[in-house]
Amino acid sequence: MDLLVDSLKSALLLLLSFDPELYEIVGVSLNVSFFSTLFAALFGLPAGFFIAFNSFRGKRLVMTCLNTLLALPTVVIGLVVYSLISRRGIFGPLELLYTQKAIIIGQIILIVPLITTLTIAAISRIDQRYRNTALTLGATYYQMGWVVFLEARFGIMAALIAAFGRVIAEVGISMMLGGNAKGFTRTMTTAMALEYDKGEFVLAVALGMVLMTFAFVINMVFHFLQGRLKSDAL
Amino acid sequence: MLYELNNVVRLFGSRTVLEIDSLSFKARKIYALIGPNGAGKTTLLNQLAFLDQPNSGEIRFRSAPVSYDHSSLTGLRRQVVLVDQSPILFSGSVWKNIEFGLKVRKIPKKERARRIKHALERVTMSDFAHQDVYGLSGGEVKRVALARALALEPEVLLCDEPTANVDREHQEIILKILSHANSVRHTTIIFSTHYLSQSRQLAHRTLLLQNGRLSKNLEENIFQARIIRRDERLKCLVNGHLIPFSDPDGLASDNRQLRVHVDPQKVKLKAFGQKPVLSPWIPGKITSLSKENGNIRIMVDVGLKLQILLSEDEFIAHPYQVLQQVGVGLDGLGVTLLP
Repeated sequence: MDLLVDSLKSALLLLLSFDPELYEIVGVSLNVSFFSTLFAALFGLPAGFFIAFNSFRGKRLVMTCLNTLLALPTVVIGLVVYSLISRRGIFGPLELLYTQKAIIIGQIILIVPLITTLTIAAISRIDQRYRNTALTLGATYYQMGWVVFLEARFGIMAALIAAFGRVIAEVGISMMLGGNAKGFTRTMTTAMALEYDKGEFVLAVALGMVLMTFAFVINMVFHFLQGRLKSDAL
Repeated sequence: MLYELNNVVRLFGSRTVLEIDSLSFKARKIYALIGPNGAGKTTLLNQLAFLDQPNSGEIRFRSAPVSYDHSSLTGLRRQVVLVDQSPILFSGSVWKNIEFGLKVRKIPKKERARRIKHALERVTMSDFAHQDVYGLSGGEVKRVALARALALEPEVLLCDEPTANVDREHQEIILKILSHANSVRHTTIIFSTHYLSQSRQLAHRTLLLQNGRLSKNLEENIFQARIIRRDERLKCLVNGHLIPFSDPDGLASDNRQLRVHVDPQKVKLKAFGQKPVLSPWIPGKITSLSKENGNIRIMVDVGLKLQILLSEDEFIAHPYQVLQQVGVGLDGLGVTLLP
């Protein structure tokens, strides 16, 4: 118990002292998480829309595959991407291994199924009458899609937040593809793992506190926007 | 013709929900679709709103066959608006809801504002313009949906049971709005209802749908008549019987030949036993009895085949039989002159 309390106290002092190493690690984490969520959203949102909107042969199979991919272990993704971008891999010449780009690629693979399935769920919950109402009021197919997007915005925002939370907290991909290089690819989670290995709990606990604070702030922002956007859809 | 439907069939799975051999709608008229639940009224309205495609058959709009590709449909839908039985309002304010259809048509902001204000006045909801749609009552939602459609000034306004779940006062308001849109803006109105009284109050023509098919039962109670003057009053002579009538369109004039419609629910029936049928009752003989959606349909031969609908309770109280001699009573409320 003393260990935890002492670590918390020291971690708080570290945070308040604006330790450059700590903030550098936080910056790397935010950077890779932001871009992986952004790029995954660029693919996952339209894919979710397409699957939710259309009936096609094999839709059930696609859904089953996506649900299976939700349980994909980060180390498996790490291994697959490693085999592709290591020196002997087909993308070896691009020299992506142990860069932030490599982490972003791995994390995109991790959260695209998550964003897609949660988008499908969010869109499917919207009553069919919204589509017909938009169409009968003269909307084009894309304008109707925009109406459905607006009505499903909370579900979609929740999907993006869940995806961001997933990547900022994952360790396997960041460790295997980033290599935990100080100042370049060291993220909060890889740093915490390293500090734990060294028996240095202070920085690990401080980073844990930062992670929890981020989770709290993101959820606060989400709830605030939910209230604001509720009356301002169109 | 505005719409022409030929051999239109709509299936849901293996079930045929709509099967129209031939049907046409003229522009600038009001049509009522009546029929029990599941008769196909909503399915037909969805077809007319170009929101659904028939499995087979052809729909023509303004003499051109409907093409079901996205770009053609958008053009067609911008001439026709459907107000759903349980309308959906988008999240946001009442104003933004009404503005949506105008925005997608790229109508200038000033004109949008004028139309929105006017539409809200028509449905007596001007005070609600900037209110959020959350918290509106069912009747208010229905009126906002109607305002949203009226603001678009469509050529055709389709309304699926516009007065369902609305109190009597607002039912009258809605019916007046529909009538006004037709008489002032010449909007073609096609609405579904359970109430024959509403269709008679508003519609130029009433269509009865049963099990997805157009029924001729309504038309079977339409007879040739001559208007004649008796005792300083105009009466209607149908097959030798003088009967009173209502004339909402002011068609009656002395010695005029026209058609009358007898509402099967407004015909009175009386058993006379062995006694002679006395005037004003018209003597007749029951030729068939059948059960229909909670009512009993009775065909009486009075020299003409007259359809009568009794409720099951009425029938239980007076269990008529085939070949029974009866007297038929008609009053002015049940007999309408047709143009």
